[in-house]
Amino acid sequence: MQVSTHSPETAQSGHRFDMESLVGYILLIGVLLSVALLVVGFVWRWARVGNLQFEHSIAGMNFFEFIVSTLRQMTSQTLRPRLFLNMGIGILMLTPFVRVLASAFYFAFVEHNWKYTLFTGFVLGVLTYSLFLR
Amino acid sequence: MSFHVLFLVSIVAGFVGAMSGMGGGIILIPVLTLFGMDIKHAIAVSIVSVIATSSGSASAYVRDRITNLKVGMFLEMFTIVGALAGAAITLVSGRRILFLLFGIVLLSSWGALFRQRNEGWRQAVHQDVFSRWLELEGSYYDRSVRQTIVYQGARAYLGGPLMFGAGLIAGLLGIGAGALKVLIHDLAMGLPPKVSTTTSNLIIGVTALAGTSVYLAAGMIDPGLAAPVILGVVSGAFMGTRLLVRLTNQAVRRIFLGVLLVLGVEMILRGIWGI
Repeated sequence: MQVSTHSPETAQSGHRFDMESLVGYILLIGVLLSVALLVVGFVWRWARVGNLQFEHSIAGMNFFEFIVSTLRQMTSQTLRPRLFLNMGIGILMLTPFVRVLASAFYFAFVEHNWKYTLFTGFVLGVLTYSLFLR
Repeated sequence: MSFHVLFLVSIVAGFVGAMSGMGGGIILIPVLTLFGMDIKHAIAVSIVSVIATSSGSASAYVRDRITNLKVGMFLEMFTIVGALAGAAITLVSGRRILFLLFGIVLLSSWGALFRQRNEGWRQAVHQDVFSRWLELEGSYYDRSVRQTIVYQGARAYLGGPLMFGAGLIAGLLGIGAGALKVLIHDLAMGLPPKVSTTTSNLIIGVTALAGTSVYLAAGMIDPGLAAPVILGVVSGAFMGTRLLVRLTNQAVRRIFLGVLLVLGVEMILRGIWGI
């Protein structure tokens, strides 16, 4: 093991907004947004009908159809608590996906590291395929 | 199952999971089945919540620059394929087999944790050509010892295929399989414990997403069940992380070892007797 006594400030000098910041903030914002949407859904449900039970399942749809269907209902119909639950779960699932997408772009256009662009591209390809499963 | 039961069970699972560092799923699934939930639905619901807990904690570790992103990106190629295969196997598997497998994973984790009690990190002495080509080296500032630790990852040719197995178990049983991933990072690739744990956290989110997509496609994700579990596990993990600093490692480990043993035996017995 090699050690040095540089402080984190010294060790991280030159980092302004790098890959770590990009990935870290995508994950943080994704989880917070998702949790906030779920909380709104439950609080609204409680205020409206006095209980927290939701009975609806997502069947016969792949992930992207589920997101499009939820967004369409949110814009064309009256907003309902269950749509917030759907969006909360949708945003949560999108969070790691967007993280991989952003990493692929970062490796390709900022670091010009083609090896890792290929690796993240592979991960992105498999994830996209899996989200199209139905 | 009512919101209150789901939420409370998930808080406890998230709390214990965060204190032990093994994630909520490994506790959540056996307890949900005890409350009458079908094991396949418990697995599907759990794996969605794994995305939340792993992404939440990974966000902090990545910004602290402890996580090795390149190690994570490389190993994810193997874990996501494993998770897709694992989740597909669960859909066609018998329930008793799932109980038995879960019990075996619980008891193996118990064994690994029991053995690891006093072991320290052994740095990889020699970095092989493949790992060097993959740029698997890094450094991080360790606040506890006030030093920058420089390390080299090794044996990526072994770590990759082993990670396929970890992904398979994660997708199959709806858990993060963090203990297994950390073990592979530590023993096969020679990464420092903090880098192992934090990089494993990053990988778990993407692996869980791959598994979730299979369960979603099978119509097994019910937002009414998944949402309270996500909120409960995230709240429990938040509290557990804060309490962790007040408890000694020995106390945490003793509690968790007991819980793992009881749940492991219980799952195996249910698998054998078909309850």
